[in-house]
Amino acid sequence: MLQRLIAIVRKELINMLRDPRARMSLILPPLLQLFIFSSAATMEVKNIDLAIVDLDRGPTSAEILHRLRGSRSFERLDLFPSLAVARTEIERERVIGALVLQSGLSADVIAGRPASIQLLMDGRRSNAAQIAAQYISVIVGGVGASVTGRAIGVSAAPDAEVVIDNWFNPNLEYTWFMLPNLVGNLSLGVALMLTAMSVARERELGTFDQTLVSPATPVEIALGKLLPPLLVALVQTSLYLLIVTQLYGVPFRGSLWLFYVAVLTFAAAAAGVGLFISSMVRTQQQAFLGAFAVLLPFALLSGFATPIENMPGWLQFFTAINPLAHMLRIMQGLFLKGASLQSLADDLNKLVAIAAVTVTASVLLFRRKAA
Amino acid sequence: MNGAESISERARRWWQQLAAVMLKEAKQVTRDPSSWIIAVVLPLTFLFLFGYGISLDTTVVKVSLVREDSSEDGRAFAAALENSRWFLVTHAADRAAGKRELQDQVVKAVVIIPAQFGELLHSQADTAQIQVLVDGAEPNTANYVRGYVSAIWSGFLAARGRSQGDSMTVPITVEPRYWFNANAESRWFLIPGSMTVIMTLLGTLLTALVIAREWERGTLEALYATPLTRGQILIGKTLPYFALAMISMAVCVFTALLLFHLPLRGSILTVGLVSAVFLFPALGQGLWISAAMRTQLAAAQLGLMTGYLPAMMLSGFLFDIHSMPRWLQIVTLLVPARYMNVSLQTVFLAGDVWYVLLPNIAFMLAVGALFFTLTWRRLQKRID
Repeated sequence: MLQRLIAIVRKELINMLRDPRARMSLILPPLLQLFIFSSAATMEVKNIDLAIVDLDRGPTSAEILHRLRGSRSFERLDLFPSLAVARTEIERERVIGALVLQSGLSADVIAGRPASIQLLMDGRRSNAAQIAAQYISVIVGGVGASVTGRAIGVSAAPDAEVVIDNWFNPNLEYTWFMLPNLVGNLSLGVALMLTAMSVARERELGTFDQTLVSPATPVEIALGKLLPPLLVALVQTSLYLLIVTQLYGVPFRGSLWLFYVAVLTFAAAAAGVGLFISSMVRTQQQAFLGAFAVLLPFALLSGFATPIENMPGWLQFFTAINPLAHMLRIMQGLFLKGASLQSLADDLNKLVAIAAVTVTASVLLFRRKAA
Repeated sequence: MNGAESISERARRWWQQLAAVMLKEAKQVTRDPSSWIIAVVLPLTFLFLFGYGISLDTTVVKVSLVREDSSEDGRAFAAALENSRWFLVTHAADRAAGKRELQDQVVKAVVIIPAQFGELLHSQADTAQIQVLVDGAEPNTANYVRGYVSAIWSGFLAARGRSQGDSMTVPITVEPRYWFNANAESRWFLIPGSMTVIMTLLGTLLTALVIAREWERGTLEALYATPLTRGQILIGKTLPYFALAMISMAVCVFTALLLFHLPLRGSILTVGLVSAVFLFPALGQGLWISAAMRTQLAAAQLGLMTGYLPAMMLSGFLFDIHSMPRWLQIVTLLVPARYMNVSLQTVFLAGDVWYVLLPNIAFMLAVGALFFTLTWRRLQKRID
């Protein structure tokens, strides 16, 4: 049986790697994705362009402008005579918002009266707008403290403070979060897509029946379809591991063998889902869309795009059976936290359980459909 | 003899041939039940997922509190933390236990009120410290935790100052207001973005598989053997998918309006216009991919790479384009989804602001023209 299985795996691998374009498509796109999306996927807000309507023209507004210019989050501060003009700039997305420094602001601050400044932000980009508003509040709040401190003569030195210590990622580098996540996401896509298309492709080309009349049993054929994507995932993730740690300088603090155990289990779970889809559909087009219909919810409900805690309860249940959600926690644990087997046990166990279910179910379905 | 054939007759024949291809393609599309699943079920599923699954509004963060100090001030700060709507506070016995919870990803942060916090707060010489350990593995959440703790801290200091009769100087505050989206609800800006992703999925990915399939099956050569021109083949292949995508767009729009209560401040006609224009580059890209790739697998992968993923990541849907590095901002100029995103967000949230919409429409048409030209030339090469 082992001999036959090896023969089938060899045949599948040759099939997969024979076409130079297909070979390239296994290597190039994932790497490109890694490079492009690691720079795109940031929730940091940078290069902010802001409209300023300065009706105050006093020391306070000058100080605020000075500090905004000094912050590296801002790229352009455009001065506009009135809010009406600034509004069209917001509509055209030339600026993300407008800060209105009303007349009498400096006088209020010097007299020690509480002052508030209007900030109008583009709600179409509500996420970036909120983060930018937070930056601006901090900067303007600082001006308030120091200006009022100087005016009334109170020492600004605090006698109490909050000390915040960021563990695992002291400078809160966004790439440190993104890249371990991408390792999980990209290997899911490859393992699932390859298996999903494999049977459908043979059905379309008519070679599937030939395989069935060979001495190999349906279970062996199914395993032969499942194993090559595991090998591809293994090679790919090794490549990612090298790039992410050596090129991007993301630390890898966990154990290497745990990494590979997780990758293999995860790829098996993904390939199982892929084979399941492949057994159900007739054409590659359907297989592709089926794979896609599964990939998207997996990716969205994994904690990658948005924290799981933000989701409604019934969706959080889905994240429990989502292999990617467990994989991402394991990857973060291994890369950044140096997590031990003990602290990963829960996620790893669930991943093994999911893989067992998807592989068994897909092989059973395959056998039934093939018979 | 040929000259005797009038122009109007040739035009009529051209139309008849076109109608024949379109009919053939349309039959092929509608006969397949999966087309309907794609046009209706898939978009709805995605819209639900995007509408409910993705929320960038931060909610409650789990925090572990370690209290080593039992003074009144320590209790007051702990109470302030527990009463805040941003945190779900659990208690850890000591620092080691708190750190373990952080390590095991049970909580996102550990707040430590150190021994003698109360005493130090009263003494003039020493500085009282609250220690916060934050899980930096998720930088966004970490930033929010930082902001929230600081806000609670200044609230605590202010309350303490008031109760002791100090008059605190009030710093300048900033009052943010959000135009077009008064509550800054992330769903309002995510749903138009999800429609763009869904349209890209249908327009680009589905079409990408069309000619690739014909190459694999060898039916494209058969199509070339007919008197059809390249233009007729292109149009005939595209239009049924155009109709399919427009149907699912309509489904999406009505779901968004009725179920998610997305405001529509522009007109429904403008939504239709923008969608139709967007399908030009989206379908063009799909056709180009399928014409360039020989196998469906390769076409599917290229479609994912250059169609779907950029629509997710480079269109301003999830990640703000202005925050990307300059070279990547230039790359986004080629992503039709980027223009669609701004247009839809504008029509839904701001209204029919033509001086915003028209440049975006122009860009979409330009990208579409580029893709159709590329496909055109690609098909010519193949026939030689």
